[in-house]
Amino acid sequence: MSALSIELRKERRTGIVFVLLAIGVLGALYACANFLVRGETLLSMPLDPMDILLTQLYGMIVVTNMFGVIVAACMIYGMEFRGDAIKKMLVMPMKMPSMYGSKFLVLVIGLLIAVAMQNGVLALIGASSLPEGAYDPGAVIAFAGYSLITSMPVLTLMLLVSSRIENMWIPLGIGVAGFLSAMALASVDSPLVLAHPFVLMLKPAIAMSAQPEFLAIAVSAAQTVIFLAAGLWLSGRGRYE
Amino acid sequence: MKHAQPGRSRRHPLIIETRNLTKRYKDFVAVNDVSMHVRKGSIYGFLGPNGAGKSTTMKMLLGLTAPTSGAFEIDGMRFPDSRVAILKEVGSFIESPSYYANLTGRENLDIIRRILGLPASSVDEALELVGLSEFGGRLAKKYSLGMKQRLGLAEALLGRPPILILDEPTNGLDPAGIHEIRNLVKSLPKAFDCTVLVSSHMLSEIELVADDIGILNHGTMLYEGSLDNLRAQALASGYAAENLEELFLAMIEQDNLLRKQRAVL
Repeated sequence: MSALSIELRKERRTGIVFVLLAIGVLGALYACANFLVRGETLLSMPLDPMDILLTQLYGMIVVTNMFGVIVAACMIYGMEFRGDAIKKMLVMPMKMPSMYGSKFLVLVIGLLIAVAMQNGVLALIGASSLPEGAYDPGAVIAFAGYSLITSMPVLTLMLLVSSRIENMWIPLGIGVAGFLSAMALASVDSPLVLAHPFVLMLKPAIAMSAQPEFLAIAVSAAQTVIFLAAGLWLSGRGRYE
Repeated sequence: MKHAQPGRSRRHPLIIETRNLTKRYKDFVAVNDVSMHVRKGSIYGFLGPNGAGKSTTMKMLLGLTAPTSGAFEIDGMRFPDSRVAILKEVGSFIESPSYYANLTGRENLDIIRRILGLPASSVDEALELVGLSEFGGRLAKKYSLGMKQRLGLAEALLGRPPILILDEPTNGLDPAGIHEIRNLVKSLPKAFDCTVLVSSHMLSEIELVADDIGILNHGTMLYEGSLDNLRAQALASGYAAENLEELFLAMIEQDNLLRKQRAVL
C-alpha cells in the first residue's frame, strides 16, 4: 500500500492518471454519441440486441483504450528515466519489483476505472434503449471482464518494454507498430494470431457475439503472467552501467 | 608507489573495505584490483583524473553495477544478500543529480523521505542544510545546474545516514557554492557522526576536507593512506609539502609513462 501511495505521488503532473480517466470518459461519450446517431440502424441488424450493444460499439472504445494504455505505460517509466530518477531509486533501500508492481497496479486500476465508465454507459444505454426483455446486465458485466482480461497482455507487454528502454519514443513506436499490425491481422481466421497481444485486445471488438471466448481468455491469462513475471524479474536485476 | 593503508584502530574500525575489486567491460578494465580501506568516522578522499574509475568503484559499492571480480564489505555487510540493509545506511550522490523532473524539490525529497520512513521535518532540514529552502517549491526541471546539484546532495543527506558516498559533489557549483559545500562535507562526520567517501579530480579540493586519500589512475590504486603520509612522501620526493598537487600530477604522469612503456614492450 505504501509503495502504491509513493508511486501515485511520483506521478503528479505527468498526466498518467488523466490519460487513463480520459479514455474512460471518451469511450463513454463515444458510445453515447454513436448510439444516439446510429441506434436504430444498429438495432435493425440481424443480431441479438445485447451483442449489438456490446460488440458494435466496442471497436472505437478498444482503440481508445489501446492508445491510452500504450501512452500511460510509456509515461510511467519515462518519468523515471527523465532526470535519471531511476538511478536514485536503484540506491534506495527498497525492492525494485515492488516499484514495478506498483506501476502495474496504477495502470490496471486506471484501466479498470475506464472500462467501468465505458460499460456503465453501455449498461445505461441497454437499460433505456434496447427492446423490452432484451437487456441482460449479467452480459454487460461478463463483457466488461472479458475486455479487461484481453487488454492485460498489451498492458503488461508495454510496461515491460517501457521499463527496459530509456528513450520513451521507442516503446511508443513499438505500441503503434503493435496496433497497426494487429489491425491487419485481427480478421485472420486462425487461432495462431492470438499469440499477438494486440490482436487479443481487439478480439472482443471484431467478434459478432459478446460471449467471451475461452481460448482468448486462456491465451490472455498466459501472456499476462509471462509478461508480468518477466518484468518483475528484470526489474530486480536493474543496473545503471 | 607504495600503498600506506590507513591505520585500523579500535576507535576507527573500517566501515568500507574493498578487496581486489575489478570491473571489466569487454577488453577495457575500468577498475583494476582496487583494495580500499575507509575508516569509520573519517572523510576519505577518492582522487583521480577523469576516467580513472572513481565513479565505477562508487557505483559498485552501491550495487549500481556488478564487480567482475573481487569483493567488498560495507559496515560488515555484503551485496547482494544485504542490499536493502546496506542502502538503508548509505546516502549517495553519483555522477549527476537524480530527480523527478515533474516534481518540485520538496516533493522529490518527500518521495525519498517516505521510502526511508523518516519524519516530515527531515525534508525541510535537508533543504536548509544545502541552502535550497527558498526554492523547495520550484519544479526540479526548472532548477539551475547548481541547484540540481544541491538537490542531489539534499537527497543524499536526508535522514542523516551513517555513510555518505559523494561523487564530485561540487561539480557545477560557483566558487561560493564550492566553498559552502566543502565546509558542509567537512562538518558532516562531527555533526552527523557519519563517514564520508568523497571523490574529486582535484587534490586541492580533497586536501581541504579529507583525512585519508586514495589516488586512482586508469583503474589502479596508486596511493592509499593519510594526507600526512602523503605530505611526508612529497617531502621525501623533493616536493614542497604544501604543494601536493605537484606530487599528485607527478604520480599520475609516472604511472602513465610506465603504462606507455609496457604497451610498447
